[in-house]
Amino acid sequence: MTDQSMLSDESAGKSKWYNAVDPITKLLFILDMALLSFAGTNLIMEAGLITAAFLLLVFSKISSTTVKALGFSLFLIFTMLVIQGLFYSKNQTVLFSVLGINFYKEGLMYATTLGSRVLVIILASGFFMVTTTISENAKYLEQSGLSYKTVYVLMSVCYILPEIMGNMRKIQQAQRVRGVNPQRTILQKLKSVLPVLIPLVIKTLDQSMTRSISLQLRGFDNPKRKALKADTHYRLAGMWHIGLTMIAVVLIGWKLWTKINGLF
Amino acid sequence: MKTEPINRTSMWKFKLSAATMTLIPAAVGINYVAKALAEGLKLPVWLGSLGTFLASMLAGPVAGAISGFINNVIYGLTLSPISTVYAITSIGIGIAVGILHARGWFSSAKKVFVSAIIIAIVSAVISTPLNVIFWGGQTGIAWGDSLFAVMVANHLPVWLASFTDEFVLDILDKVCVAYLAFFIYRQLPQRMVRFFRDDK
Repeated sequence: MTDQSMLSDESAGKSKWYNAVDPITKLLFILDMALLSFAGTNLIMEAGLITAAFLLLVFSKISSTTVKALGFSLFLIFTMLVIQGLFYSKNQTVLFSVLGINFYKEGLMYATTLGSRVLVIILASGFFMVTTTISENAKYLEQSGLSYKTVYVLMSVCYILPEIMGNMRKIQQAQRVRGVNPQRTILQKLKSVLPVLIPLVIKTLDQSMTRSISLQLRGFDNPKRKALKADTHYRLAGMWHIGLTMIAVVLIGWKLWTKINGLF
Repeated sequence: MKTEPINRTSMWKFKLSAATMTLIPAAVGINYVAKALAEGLKLPVWLGSLGTFLASMLAGPVAGAISGFINNVIYGLTLSPISTVYAITSIGIGIAVGILHARGWFSSAKKVFVSAIIIAIVSAVISTPLNVIFWGGQTGIAWGDSLFAVMVANHLPVWLASFTDEFVLDILDKVCVAYLAFFIYRQLPQRMVRFFRDDK
């Protein structure tokens, strides 16, 4: 998590083209892309959506996080192609055979459609993941009307995680020094989890108590708390919100309409 | 070997107080490190709901549900986008743990086992439709998916195969997490339990 671009303010300072797009527009874009990919089963359309999302990512920034997310999903898509290609309930037409094992067209098409949808969502989310920072999200969400308490809960996670990971490494090292070695059989590994997790959880909750008392002392619950100063570097945010929301509503409505018509 | 259930006026009573506001991110953090620890040790379980369990046990089902929801949203927006939709499962787990704990089903080792089975059923029931929609019924865990493949190959319905795939993984994971949460909760200092319970 520490290698996340969300943790740095790097992208905010350089003012690239994607910094002019606000976080809510980016989230609505993910929603619209996901709904479009679920709108039909046309593989050409799915390929178009994957290309569009991929190009958007190429013209913004590609990070190791997106590559990791893609790597895991591609492996799962591969297993899905094998399982559905062999055993999908509607399999009829043999497409090819490997070592005498038949792979069917229907199952492979079904798995390709599902895999394409997953890729669309990952690539579209990747754009959000690599082009926004925690502070940008926090400021914008609060300006958009979300309560500052909710914003704090959402955003503090990203700052607390590296701290907890650091604590875990320290506890693991301490336990190894004391002779608790977590590198053996599964049962021993399961047993070795407790000496790490118990102190880690207690330390984490203890730090939460301290943080909570600090917040109260600093007057976080003060009703006269001032909202953050508005940022004005986003272009046409309102227009994007209305446009993308309308697309989402139309897509959901159309999908529901076709489902209801399909019942009769 | 017994722990006291939470005695609050209503388990559904919830206020985003300073204590809850700091408990929720901590629970999300615990989920994250427990999952990382399980992955690091190559354990056959996820352990990624330990924080949600503890938040529900300490501050009630609503806090647990919020912890679970935020956990998946943050995880989805930073590491694995598809896991965002499984936020619904995490909400279900948080609520189930909160209710079971408030009703005393985490008070002894025997009861914890029953609770773990109920939570595994809740988790599998919510996750199965999502698995079918996004992954054709698979879970992404090799041995669970092998079971899925065998069942589908024997012409059993995809829904049943997917539920079985998810349930066998969930039962093992939730039993481990429930016992971990039970043991850790008993080790927590009373001042800490009261701090998160009474600050309402």
